[in-house]
Amino acid sequence: MASKDPARIELLQGTLDLIVLRSLSTMGPLHSYALASRVSQAADATLTLNQGTLYPALVRLEQRGSIKGRWGTTEHNREAKYYEITAAGTRALTHETARWRRLVGLVDRLLTDEP
Amino acid sequence: MPPSLRQAWLRCCTFVRSRRADAEAAREVAAHLVLLEDEYRRAGLSPADASVAARRSLGGVDQTMERHRDARSLPWLEDLRRDAAYAMRGFVKAPTFAVASIATLALGIGAASAVFAIAHALLIKPLSYAQEPARLVRLIGHSRDAASPAGPPVRREVGFSIDEANELRTRTRALDVVGIVAPTVMGLSGVDGAGNLAGARVSASVLDLLNAAPLLGRRLTAADEATGADVVLLSYGTWQRLFGGDLAILGRTLVFEVVLGARRAIPYQVVGVMPPEFRFPAAQTAFWMLPRANQSLPFRGRLLARLASGWTVASAASEVGETTRALRQLGPDIRFELVREQDELVAGVRPAVLALAVAVAVLLGIASLNVAALAHARALARRRELAVRAAVGASRSRLVRQCLTEIVILGTLGGAAGIALAYAALSAFRTLATSLARIDLAGPPAFPRLDEVAIDGTVVAVSALTTVVAGLAVGLTAAVRASRADPQQAVRPHERTRGAAQRGRRALVVAQIAGAMTLLVGALLLTSTLGHLLSTETGYATNSRLTFQVALPSSAYPDSRLRAFAEDLVTRLDGLPAIATAAYANQLPMVQLRDSGGGLWTSPDAARGPAPGGGADARYVSRRYLETMGVAVRRGRGFADSDGAGQPRVLLVNETLARQQFSSADPIGTQVYIGRDVVPWTIVGVVGDVRQFGLQRAPEPQFFVDLRQWVPGGTPLFPAGAYFVAATRASPDEVVPEVRALVKSLDPEGALFNVASMDAIVSSAVTQPRLFAALMTTFATIGALMAAMGIYGVLAFLVHERRQEFGVRMALGAARRDVLALVLRQGAILVAVGLGLGTAGAFALSRSIESLLYGVSARDPQAFVLAAALFAAVAAVAMWVPAHRATRVDPLEVMRCE
Repeated sequence: MASKDPARIELLQGTLDLIVLRSLSTMGPLHSYALASRVSQAADATLTLNQGTLYPALVRLEQRGSIKGRWGTTEHNREAKYYEITAAGTRALTHETARWRRLVGLVDRLLTDEP
Repeated sequence: MPPSLRQAWLRCCTFVRSRRADAEAAREVAAHLVLLEDEYRRAGLSPADASVAARRSLGGVDQTMERHRDARSLPWLEDLRRDAAYAMRGFVKAPTFAVASIATLALGIGAASAVFAIAHALLIKPLSYAQEPARLVRLIGHSRDAASPAGPPVRREVGFSIDEANELRTRTRALDVVGIVAPTVMGLSGVDGAGNLAGARVSASVLDLLNAAPLLGRRLTAADEATGADVVLLSYGTWQRLFGGDLAILGRTLVFEVVLGARRAIPYQVVGVMPPEFRFPAAQTAFWMLPRANQSLPFRGRLLARLASGWTVASAASEVGETTRALRQLGPDIRFELVREQDELVAGVRPAVLALAVAVAVLLGIASLNVAALAHARALARRRELAVRAAVGASRSRLVRQCLTEIVILGTLGGAAGIALAYAALSAFRTLATSLARIDLAGPPAFPRLDEVAIDGTVVAVSALTTVVAGLAVGLTAAVRASRADPQQAVRPHERTRGAAQRGRRALVVAQIAGAMTLLVGALLLTSTLGHLLSTETGYATNSRLTFQVALPSSAYPDSRLRAFAEDLVTRLDGLPAIATAAYANQLPMVQLRDSGGGLWTSPDAARGPAPGGGADARYVSRRYLETMGVAVRRGRGFADSDGAGQPRVLLVNETLARQQFSSADPIGTQVYIGRDVVPWTIVGVVGDVRQFGLQRAPEPQFFVDLRQWVPGGTPLFPAGAYFVAATRASPDEVVPEVRALVKSLDPEGALFNVASMDAIVSSAVTQPRLFAALMTTFATIGALMAAMGIYGVLAFLVHERRQEFGVRMALGAARRDVLALVLRQGAILVAVGLGLGTAGAFALSRSIESLLYGVSARDPQAFVLAAALFAAVAAVAMWVPAHRATRVDPLEVMRCE
């Protein structure tokens, strides 16, 4: 189990949303498998992620109107649902990124300022 | 729409359309898997391995779907839906449990809702026709009776005239509006079916402070009061019943007859009709007039006032009392009390309603315990199932939720059925509680605010709350038990119930038995009260006796003509084949009207005042009254044909009068004088006592005068009109049309009213005792049966758990009788402890219903013994069935089960 390995991290609530938005924003429409693979790659081995855990984030984001799913076909002619970031999603990404940076900066300062 | 709101909305939508969303999610997850499998195959795995690897990488298809579902919809609602469906399937599989629980809850909640509806309408709901009803007050004075100065203080309304009431308002700051109210009775002539009507004389300020807006026309005003205008307001019911809701009633002049005094007719102009909900001061009030001053005496009525803001009943009492003492120059021995109008209206039934509320709470408790026991038994029966579910990973909270869902469903169904039951019960209640709508009869007044008793929003809300509380009380124990489900139990074939659980269940049953015993004692005491009332020796015949009055225009019928008419009518009634004999009198038994005739004296005195304490009750009766009414002549003789006008004056006394006034000597032959008489009457007979002013009131002294010999004096002979009685050969109701036709033939304006058989009158007098006995008996029966079910459950379970032991015992030679005794002993212990506790509860309940009892003491040992015996009998049946089953255990069968 992930929690037993100190090197691995658990995702903070909401972080996955940010990662998904960021991936879709930089790489264009992706299906869930591609998204999951992308997250795994970026994380190297620091983050183990059952690919299924991606779905709550996708559902959440779609219900909030940040992304939009559409059925399509892959290059190997398989059907897949492609997600695309919406205008609202782009705005949310900017907003969330700024918030994340502030949070990280704050925690970082607190950790480094310690005498 | 903000994203979070949009999300919440979509979650709800998805919940509603969950099937479609599920299909979409499944398609997406399937597509995802295919892509993963493709990838693993390209990496060189076999198709089977690739499939397994893909699933592992995804984290399980079911788990993924579950995550998807949780995120897109409302997981707790989804769970609830599944739990509900699961529970329903369980109920269908074990219908006995579901039906028993729902029926038990329905009975408990139905009874509780019905009684709450009654208590709510009578004691809690503000008066519908008044603004700020909580601030309307009356003034009550407590003082010792002049007749019995040593007795307890008597509670009386303090009378005020309009001027005194106005003076009171000026002198005290505690009251801001003050008015007077006095009930009255008036005849209404020339209107078919009217007869004597109950009305009220109220000052204009009373209508102001009740804020009584008329439905039609205007209300009585201070200007009417000042000019002394003869104007009248009609009640909605009267307007509908007598005038068919005719709008032309406004401005019409109605001729009211003064009864209960010198008969005269006064024309009143109708100025308004009040709305149906205006039922002040009583439901049967038909009209409202202003107080009318006599030549000499001011008209006095009771006080109705509104407390000024900032004053309470307690704080205003002494100020208002002291002001009144000064104003009316009353002595220091009167203690004053302000009471809320609303409380006073229902004061007569409050103890009964509170007792019913206590009884129904006990019943609800028994019902809840029963459902708890049922749920408990079911939880035990489902130990394995729950253990299996725990073993395959159901969380503790999930199991608790599952159990609670079951209870909530049972509670909801039981509560809904209970409210339906309450509806039926209330309509029965209204029928049972309705007494004859008569103002002239003795006995308790009509049930107040009866038409307001209904299942309304508040009642439903309270029932729902009761259901929830009862359900939680019941459900939590079962749920907690479920949460302790031990996965190991799934594989352990048999395990005895832990001692603690058994003890808990026995405690429940003991509590139920105690409750049932309490209710049974209450029911027996009230039933015995009713029995005593109904078996009271009335002193008159009630069977096949028709009574009625005839409304005649007073202008055309002074006393002398009225008597001629009555004589004529009685003679013709005697001639009808359906009638054996007929008679008339100034009043009949159960009619609440006093007439002392000036008292009965043994010496003449032309200048004496009224008899002390009212004196004996004078009855002016027609020739065949005694035989028609079935009043017995105990000694001497009754009236004879020879006792006509001009013959020696003869008189009859009843046994009570004979005993009280002529204690030692035989009264027959004694000469007596009525009031200021100087010519003596000779007592020629002693007649039996009758229950005149109610079944529970001891007979009072009465004397009888034959109307043929009565010389009309200053007082009217028939203050409330003549009362007729006929001994009928057929059912009294069947004779009514003939009588009506006969009256019409004598005078086309004559109309029958107050038509009732003596049976109906006596039955009406016991309306409330009968109602309370019926309700308490119903509650006690249900409670006893439920408690019996509880005993049955415990013993049946015990027999089931110990069937091996019984089998072995019998295999080793124990007689059936021994096994039977063993089981019965277990039950008998529970019953004995329960009845012991119940006796204590019954003592408490019987004390609270003491004021409702007649002819039986609240500590009546018979009732206690009988209640215990009755319950023991029911319990014996409930214990016999499982005990008998224990003796049928087949040792071989049991061994094989092992």
